[in-house]
This record gives sequence, structure tokens and C-alpha cells, in this order.
Amino acid sequence: MELANPGLPNFDYVRATTPAEVIGLLLQHPDDARLFMGGTDVFVRMRDGAMTPKLLIDVKRLPGLTEITYDPETGLHIGAAANMNAIARHPVVLEHYPLLVESVNAVASYPLRTRATMGGNLCNASPCADTALAALLLEAMLVAAGPDGDRAIPAGAFFLGPGKHALKPGEFLTRIEIPTPPAGWAGRFIKLGRNAHGDLAIASAAAGGYPDESAPSGYRFRVALGSVAPTPIRVPEAEAILAQGPINEKTCDAAADAARAAARPIDDVRASAKYRKAMVKTLTRRALVEVWAMLQKEG
Amino acid sequence: MATHQITLTVNGVKEHTQVSSNITLLTLLRERLGLTGTKNGCAAGECGACTVLIDGEPVNACMVLAVETDGAEIVTVEGLARDGELDALQAAFIEHTGVQCGFCTPGVLVSARALLNRSPDPDEDEIKDALRGNLCRCTGYVRIVEAVKAAARGGD
Amino acid sequence: MNPSSLSPVGESVTRIDALEKVTGEAQFADDIQFGPGLLYGRVARSPHPHAQIKGIDVGEALALPGVKAVVTGDDAGGKIGLYLKDRYTFCRDRVRYVGDPVAGVVAASEEIAEQACKLIRVEYEVLEPVLDPLRGAEPDAPVLHPDLGEYEVANFIFPRPGTNISNHFKIRKGDVDAAWPQCDVVVERAFRVPHVQHVPIEPHVAVAQVDRSGQITLWTSSQSPFAQRNLIAESLGISQSQVRVISPYVGGGFGSKAGVSMEALAVVMAQKVPGRPVKMRLTREEEFFCAFVRQGLVAKTQAGATKDGKLLAMKTEYYWDAGAYTEYGVNITRASGYSSTGPYEIPNVWADSYCVYTNHPVGGPMRGFGMPEIHWGIEQIMDLVAEELNMDKVEFRKKNCVREGSIIVTGSKMHPTGLLECIDKAAQAIDWGKDEPASAPHKRRGKGLAIMWKAPAMPPNPGSSAWVRFNEDATLTVGIGGQEIGQGTFTVAAQMAAAVLGVPFEWVRISAPLDTRYSPYEWQTVASRLTWSMGNAIVAAAQDTRRQILELAAEHWGENIDDLDIKDGVVVSYQSEESLPLKDMVVYGLPKPNDQGWRGGPIIGHGKFMPTYVTGLDPETGQGPRSVVHYTTGCQAVDLEVDTETGQITVLRVAAAYDVGKAINPDQVRAQIEGGVVQGLSTALFESIRFGEDGAPQNPSFVDYRIATVVDMPLKIIPLIVEVPQDDGPWGARGVGEHSMVPTAPAIANAVAAALGVRILDMPLTAEKVFLALEEKGERS
Ligand SMILES: Cc1cc2nc3c(=O)[nH]c(=O)nc-3n(C[C@@H](O)[C@@H](O)[C@H](O)COP(=O)(O)OP(=O)(O)OC[C@H]3O[C@@H](n4cnc5c(N)ncnc54)[C@H](O)[C@@H]3O)c2cc1C
Ligand code: FES
Ligand code: FES
Repeated sequence: MELANPGLPNFDYVRATTPAEVIGLLLQHPDDARLFMGGTDVFVRMRDGAMTPKLLIDVKRLPGLTEITYDPETGLHIGAAANMNAIARHPVVLEHYPLLVESVNAVASYPLRTRATMGGNLCNASPCADTALAALLLEAMLVAAGPDGDRAIPAGAFFLGPGKHALKPGEFLTRIEIPTPPAGWAGRFIKLGRNAHGDLAIASAAAGGYPDESAPSGYRFRVALGSVAPTPIRVPEAEAILAQGPINEKTCDAAADAARAAARPIDDVRASAKYRKAMVKTLTRRALVEVWAMLQKEG
Repeated sequence: MATHQITLTVNGVKEHTQVSSNITLLTLLRERLGLTGTKNGCAAGECGACTVLIDGEPVNACMVLAVETDGAEIVTVEGLARDGELDALQAAFIEHTGVQCGFCTPGVLVSARALLNRSPDPDEDEIKDALRGNLCRCTGYVRIVEAVKAAARGGD
Repeated sequence: MNPSSLSPVGESVTRIDALEKVTGEAQFADDIQFGPGLLYGRVARSPHPHAQIKGIDVGEALALPGVKAVVTGDDAGGKIGLYLKDRYTFCRDRVRYVGDPVAGVVAASEEIAEQACKLIRVEYEVLEPVLDPLRGAEPDAPVLHPDLGEYEVANFIFPRPGTNISNHFKIRKGDVDAAWPQCDVVVERAFRVPHVQHVPIEPHVAVAQVDRSGQITLWTSSQSPFAQRNLIAESLGISQSQVRVISPYVGGGFGSKAGVSMEALAVVMAQKVPGRPVKMRLTREEEFFCAFVRQGLVAKTQAGATKDGKLLAMKTEYYWDAGAYTEYGVNITRASGYSSTGPYEIPNVWADSYCVYTNHPVGGPMRGFGMPEIHWGIEQIMDLVAEELNMDKVEFRKKNCVREGSIIVTGSKMHPTGLLECIDKAAQAIDWGKDEPASAPHKRRGKGLAIMWKAPAMPPNPGSSAWVRFNEDATLTVGIGGQEIGQGTFTVAAQMAAAVLGVPFEWVRISAPLDTRYSPYEWQTVASRLTWSMGNAIVAAAQDTRRQILELAAEHWGENIDDLDIKDGVVVSYQSEESLPLKDMVVYGLPKPNDQGWRGGPIIGHGKFMPTYVTGLDPETGQGPRSVVHYTTGCQAVDLEVDTETGQITVLRVAAAYDVGKAINPDQVRAQIEGGVVQGLSTALFESIRFGEDGAPQNPSFVDYRIATVVDMPLKIIPLIVEVPQDDGPWGARGVGEHSMVPTAPAIANAVAAALGVRILDMPLTAEKVFLALEEKGERS
């Protein structure tokens, strides 16, 4: 077995000041350069020996990379390097994106979130990344800068496997764009860990819904799951059941069953696949029931 | 290995120093600046024993490169007391026996100071939420929570 | 014994170490500065659970720039160990667990040392491992220690050479076979307890320096500076005077820093670089399996009672998963054997407690020394018997628990104990017997309780000593060799000394950091023994000091010593109403009249304590007149809720009552109880070191091995103090440091069983395990 080192191995550090510099360095060192922002994934993996970059490129001081702005038309723009606490205390986020706040606050601890960024959480592409569920559910666009200019990737197309994402060589994430949620939107994120709070997810579920007359049930729902597949996933099967309706406990149960069926979890030290499957059902149903209650209150 | 010249302020004192890239802020504080109040319990962001304030916000010093702190303002447990006066939290931890072995204490105090700075009158859930990254194996947390409550009530 | 009306004993005075600790000034071993000469040591460890070492090539490692020395088993001394010398500091011919130290590198930095470790080539011949204690006890199991018969061993430990059993402790009391037919109810179960780790927040650290004359200085985070001095000297074949151990504050120990574990590695490495200090730190990952872990346990238990609720017989087999080396763990096997009934009076008892070598990490002492592990089964069996009898569980326990005069499992007579009062108080505090609703339809509420006992487990003659000396202004230093590991011993030591001397508590300083060159001897800071044993030594030292002071004053005034007293730092005479501040006499003495010279001189008092009344136990029956110094008893009652849709347990209330004899500092007793409850809860709900089939630990990090955080603590902890004095304790005090962790897990298990009708026999009660058990029962809502 490989044991963690006492400290970080040697590397060079560059504080990048322009996107062009970043792209240049990435192209120049395709194998041994690593970007970092908060470093909360990078440092841990370097200490473990799982990552051995010779060059660390600090991108968080690039212009605009920690900015958070909002426009009702274009939605919320979160700089890739905005730290999680800054996101969670932003008045606009608090007002329009409570689901995002929930998923951010589920991560680790407050001091860790002073460093950890949402951009890093997405680029780390862990199946259990908490904010990935918010990105999937709120249908975020992930904007990358690269040799061929900027490119926006839908969150749904971003995650390719554990630790794998859709960025190409020389590209890096600059911004997360989250559209203003549909009118009447309500959402809920629920995470189950071993401790009451603060653990990595054994399983997590996020659900959101909003009134939509084009749907037979009068509502559209979105469902996403974490830690139960090689990537965070949406569950179209469950969403279809809910669009069909009628929305009641039985339908929520059926949708939760569909989520359970869609989950492809593994056994690991945190939990067995069997338990994870069962928890997908519990968490999805709970999230749906709560969202439904919120929708009814508003409606 | 690359080294970098940095300037930072620690507990109000300006420090110029040369660091190699792979030195964390925790190592800089403990092994270069002799500020050993901040503790190393895991070097992995999990235990909170290394919590310090950077520009007023709490961070795990083991998860920050020293070179990143160029220009930053750091406060460690040694900087909580000012002009010979204990911080209200320090006084409350003494008064309410929030301390046993004391190894988690510096990190807990800094996390709690950050909490009271952003939320001067937190309820119990808020206190627990703010301290969930600070592991303590001795106290069972009971008196830690009590002490933070007391400091908030009596504090500045 | 308590001469001053202003006695601080029984008062919740403020901890004397609190100020230092909140300012960050308190010094821990890793905080000591050694300057630029400091070197660092790292260790290359076995990747195999069991293998023969065929060869070690250190050439590449030695050639790495910055490397100062490399050591292997050939450089280390002889065997080392507390009760059974069964290990080498660095492995010689064989490795016995994943993590076993094979070689050490000394280098200019930790990183270089680590890098060099990776360059050490070791050729292994892999052997079949033993990864389960039941397997290890089988006659055809691979034998881990073929030389067991030649190891040096304490005379109360009974190894079985040629097997993996390094200690077999037996109880044969009454006649169990004859008793079973008389029982109306007999329950039999097997329980499992996994390996857990102590998880002090301060990882192990040691700095060793060897000067050219061979004098060794060791700075460590240690519960046992004296035991370290002794064991390291014995292992190296040198005089104890050649080893000096200096130990500042310990950032949590819980047993992991008792005896010797990684400290000897630093010494062996330092011997190769004379004159240079060598620092060795365990990373958090190493901490989980490279120092001590708690032993695992498989407990097979059978208990029987008559229909009127009287326990008649109990039969137990303990298979301790003791790990690769059992130098310390053998005595856990013994302690669990002679406590195997729990705090119950049972006329017929049969117990076999086996210490089994396995290829797991080294099992060592951990808070409770076997008691949390055995009470996990004992207290569930008792619940099951009560259920079969249809008897209330409190009533059943009160009917059968030990009280003064009971003949306990070893045939000894029980001393006065407040166990009944503890049971009543704890049960009452959670409204025992009252059904209370759960907070939601998918939740179930349940209450459960568990009682416990624990005696300090030690050799029969562990000694304590203390001294007292004064400064010019009559402030004083109390010299002790007991370590401050968070439990508050320095504060209590100062309270006791101040009380006997009649000086203000604030005048007292403790001689810290501990230094075996200057501190008085103390066996070890373990077994919850300091308040009691060291306390007795402090009282003796303070009385000696007091006598010298009063004799001096009596001579000075020409009075009778019996008429004198010390109050608030002033010697007073009830006869003449004369008074004399201590500061005028304790250093400079007192002038004789008319310039005729002086009398007295710097006062220095000393005292000692050692229990002289603990007798041996018969090796075949485990019976003897006084097996231990005393048992501390207690009871915990738990009120909790289980989420039936996730299996998550929320502990609402824990009431914990302990008979401490006398609470020298009630607030600190409560603090110990709270801490123990949460550590117990953490092991009950979350903790286990998991091993793969390759014998390697799978979760050695805080990410994968979770401990309770502030959000997991019970919503309410109610600490309760009972005081039935102990005949051999200062002011009647007994220890309580470990005890509050002992019954927490079984009390939780019993409450879960009450809530769900599902009983879980294997620790921990993870949400997953609870949920799957419910699902199996087909009773999920
Ligand atoms: C103790 C601890 C607890 C944690 N608990 C949780 C938890 O509960 N839930 C959870 O979801 N996560 C958890 N995490 C992980 C979480 O902290 C990270 O995923 C974090 O959000 C990553 O952000 P960062 O800025 O620190 O990323 P970094 O570590 O800086 O980078 C993360 C990854 O993204 C790459 N990268 C960085 N910047 C860019 C960029 N601009 N473009 C492209 N790639 C980039 C890096 O090379 C790296 O691969 C925990 C981590 C720790 C240490
Ligand atoms: S040492 Fe930094 S979090 Fe543990
Ligand atoms: S007081 Fe010891 S870890 Fe908190």
C-alpha cells in the first residue's frame, strides 16, 4: 500500500496573471503541470502520491476568476476560483439559488470552504462532488478558456468518469454560468454521510421542480444523484415519471424507485453498493416530497 | 527547487522570508517563524488543528502554500490576545473548561473567533456547524460549545 | 487528612494549564525547537502482513544526497516489551503486520528521508498470514512467533509456546456444568469488536539525541516517560541512567502513548548520528496502524438465570485479536478475564481469555483496557437474559449487580461501591420506564442502559512518588512523574498538595515538563491510576513537608506540634495564637533568639505510594483474595432515535453516573465523563479499522476513518457523580478517566434493540448495518 508523505513533494509554483499564460503553460507541459485554485484536492493527492506535477499553476488571481455577478437575463456568473463561502454568503445566491447554498454548505467545514472552490469541485470530477449536483440540476454552463478561445460546456456533458471531464488539452475553467431558475422553482439537496454532517457523501440526491403547463402533471422536475455512479448523474427516468404525474406520494415513490434503478454504485469503505441503492430511494423520495411541499406552498 | 521571496504579516508583525514552493503555511508558521501554537494533526485539511485566519477568514494552514500568502495578513492563536487582554473566547474556554489536552484548542479558538466575527450571536446549531471541521478527542465538545456561547454573550 | 478549612479539594478550581493552552504557549513535543542541527527520521515499512526478510539493500537510499544514515534490524538492540518481550524495534528476520518497521532513514529533511525509504529494497518471502483470531487459535494455524517459549515474560502471564496464544487466562469458579440445568433461562451469543484507534489529535512524535558517551536523551509525547526509559535501556542493554526522557504536555493519549511504540525507532536512528537530534513523527495515516491500535475481540458468552431473576452461571471465551506483538496486550487478556462477569455477582463462572497473535497492527492499551470491548457483549447478554425473563432491565441489574461484600468473579470480596445508586440516578435522569414518542413517523425511539466496572490493570507493584519544595516567597513546586494528557492531573495534584499543606491552590506549581532525570518516579500515566496512586504519594509528600514545617515552628515557639496548624500559608498556634507566614521560614529557616544562629533550612518533603496488598491469582482457577486494588463502577442510560429509512442513530440523551469515591475536582470529573461518552459513542457508531484480504488497512485517514465531530455529540449529556469512599484512595477517591467510555457502546446497542427489536452483535452500529438489519427483519416502515 502507498502511504501519504509527511509533506508535499517538490514542484515549481507559478502565479498566472493572464489566461494566455495559463494556456501556454498547459500546452508546454502537457504531462507535468497542474492547475490549482484552492488546492484542497490537488494538495491531498500530491501528498498521497496520486498526483506528481512538477509545476503548479495558481490561477485564482486571474482577472475575474473570483468574481460573482448576477443578471436576471444571463443568470449567475461564478468565477471558477470563487471560494465556496463567498458563494454561499452572496446575497443573490441566497435569494435565488438556495439549492446551491445547500450543496456548498454540505462540503467539509467552513475553514476548508474558505479555500475550496466550486470550479475545483467540478474539475475534480469526483462522483461525490456536492456542488456538481447543483450544477446538473440548475443546468449550469461551464465556460472554459483555451487555445481556440472560449467554449461553454453544459454541466450535463462535463463529467465523463471519476476524475475525468470534458476539458481539452490547454483548456481551463474560467466561469460557471447558472441560468436564473424557472419561475416558481423550488429545490432541495440532501446528503447522507457517516457523520451527521461534513463527511463525503455515501449518497446524495438533489431535486428541483417548477410549474409548467406543458407537462401533463403541471410540473417539471429535475433529479440528480451523487456518489452512486462513475459521475454525478441526472435521472431522466424519474423526471419523466414526475412530468407525467399526478404528483403525489405514490408518484414520488415511483420516481425514487426509478432513481434507485438508475444508480450504479460501488462498494467502498464508506458503504456497500446495496446500502447506497437503498439510500438513493430514501433520499430522492425525501427531496421530492419536500420540493413538492414547497411548490404547493408557493402555488 | 524554486524558492520565492514573500512578505506577509503575522499577528501584526511583518515577515520577509524565502520559501520553497512545497512548504505549507503551517510549516512556515511552525518551523520557520517559531509560531508553534498552530498545530499539525493531519496535514490533510481534516482535523482543524491548524486553523488560522488569512485576511480575516479561517483556513486550514496545512492546505495553503506558504508562497500563496505573499501580501496576506495572518492571525494565529498567538495573535488572539491583544494588548495583554485575552480574547473573550480564550477567557471563556478557561472559565468553562473548554480545554483538556489542549491540542485542538488553538484551531478551535480561531474557528470560533471567525464565527463570532461573522455572526456575533450564534445559536447552538450555528456554533456546531462552524466547528464541525475541528476534531476534539478529549472534551466530547460539550464545554467547547458552552464556552463559545458564553463568549458570544459576554463578548465584544 | 484535610487540615485546612480553605481546602481546594472538592472544589471545581480552574485548570492550571488552561491559560497556557488557550494562548498557544503550551509546549508539546513537536513544538520544541532544536535549531538547524535537527535531522529527521522516517521508516520503511512492510507491505506484507507476514513475510520472511530475505535481504535488505540500502545502497541506493544511502547514496541519496541529504541522507545521513540508514538503520535496519541489525543496528537495533535486543527485544523490547512491557509484560512480554516479543518484538524488536526494527524487524530482524520476519515482518508480522503491514506497517512493521523494516529500516529507518535519517536525513536532513523529512522529505529526503521519505524519498530514501522508497529506495530501500527489501526481498521478502511471503508467508501465510493470520487475519482472524479464531483462525489464529486453531492448531494448524501458521505460528507467528516460533520462539514464544524463549521470550522473557512477567510471572502472571501464561504463553502457550508452539501456538499463537501469548497468554491464556482462566477463571474456574463454582461449577458451571452443574449450574446450567438449574437455570430457567440460558442465552448464548457471540460478539465482535473491531480494531479501532485512539486518535489523539496530536500524532506520535519523538526526538532522540545520543551523545558521544552513549547518553540518550529522548523528547517524546508520552504517557510513560519512566517506562520508556526502562524498556529502552533494557532493550539496548544499558543502564537506565544512560537514558533520559523529557516529556512535555501530551496532546491526547488514551493509551496510545503508553509503554513504548515508535519512540524506540527514533533512539536507534539517533545512535547512528551521535550528537545530532533526530525527529520522528508519525503522519496521521501512520498513526492509524503504526503505533498501537485497540485489540479486536471475538467474545462467545453464555449466561443463565433462574426464573426469579438470579444469575447463576456465566461462561465466556475471549479470542483477542491482539495483533503482531502482544508485549502490552497480554495483560488486557488477563484484565478482561478477571473482569469477565462485568459488575455482577455470579456463583458459577468459567472463562478462557486467549491473547491471539494475528498479522494485524500491534494491539495495545486503550482507554478502558479491554473493558469497553468485553462490556459490549456482557451488557447485551444481560439485556437478553432480562428479556427472556420478562424482567425490567434496571430491576434485573439491581438484583444481580455487585455490592459491598459480594463475592466477585475472582473469589475476592467487593469493597464498598455506589453502583446501585449509579443505576438509579442514570435511569431516572432519562425517565426510564416512560415511553416517549419519536420525533417523526419514520423514526423509532428507544432507551437502554449498561453498567460497568473497571479496575486499574497493572503489575501488583506499580509505584508513585512525589516531592514538595518551596520558593523564597513560599510558593511551591510539587514534583510528580504523572503526565498531563488532558485529564487534568496537574490541577488535581496541585489541589491535593495545597489541601494538605494549608496553602492557597494558586501557590502551587507542578514540576513540568516531566524529565526522568528530575521528576520523581511514576510507573505510567495509565489505568486511571494517578488521582488515586499518585494522589496518595502527593498526600504523603505534603504531610512530610507539613510535619517539617510544624516541627520547625514548634521548636521556634517552644510549643507542642499538635497545637499548630497551617492556614492559608501561615503557621498558626491554637495555643499561643502566634502566627508565622511560611515565606519567613521555608527557605531561610528561622533565627534562634539572641542571635544564637539559625534553625531549619530549605524545606523539601517527599512521599511514595505503592499498593502492597494485591495478591496473585491461581493460574488454573483465577481465584485469589485481592486481585486488584479496587473497581470503579458506573452506569450509563441512553435515550435515542433511529431513522428507519436510513439506519441513522440520533442520541438524544446520555445520563452517566460514576462512583468516583470522592470528586477532588467535580467539574473535571464531569468533563471526563462527557469526553468518554462521546469517544464511546464514536466507537459505537462509526469506528473500525478495515483490513483488506491483503492484510493492509483500508481506511487509515480521517477521510475514511470517521470520528465523532461536534455535530455528532448527543443532544444532552448528563454527568452524575456518586461518592462512596474508597479505603485506599486520597479523600476516598477512585479513578474515572477511562470508565465513561466503557458502557457507552452497549448502552447504545441496548437502546437500539429496544427501539427496533433488532439486536446487533458486531460493533460499530453504522447506519448501514442498522438499516440492513432492519431490512432483513422485513420491518422497515
Ligand atoms: C478535508 C476535505 C473534505 C472534503 N469534503 C468534501 C465534501 O464533503 N464534498 C465535496 O464535494 N468535496 C469535498 N472535498 C473536496 C473539495 O474540497 C474539492 O473538491 C474542492 O471543491 C476543490 O476546489 P479547489 O479549489 O480546492 O480545487 P483544486 O484542488 O485547486 O483543484 C481541483 C482539481 O481541478 C483542477 N483545476 C483547478 N483549477 C482548474 C481550472 N480553472 N480549470 C480546470 N481544472 C482546474 C485541478 O488540477 C484539480 O484536478 C473535501 C476536501 C478535503 C480536503
Ligand atoms: S493539520 Fe490541517 S486540518 Fe489537520
Ligand atoms: S482538548 Fe484534546 S483534542 Fe480537544
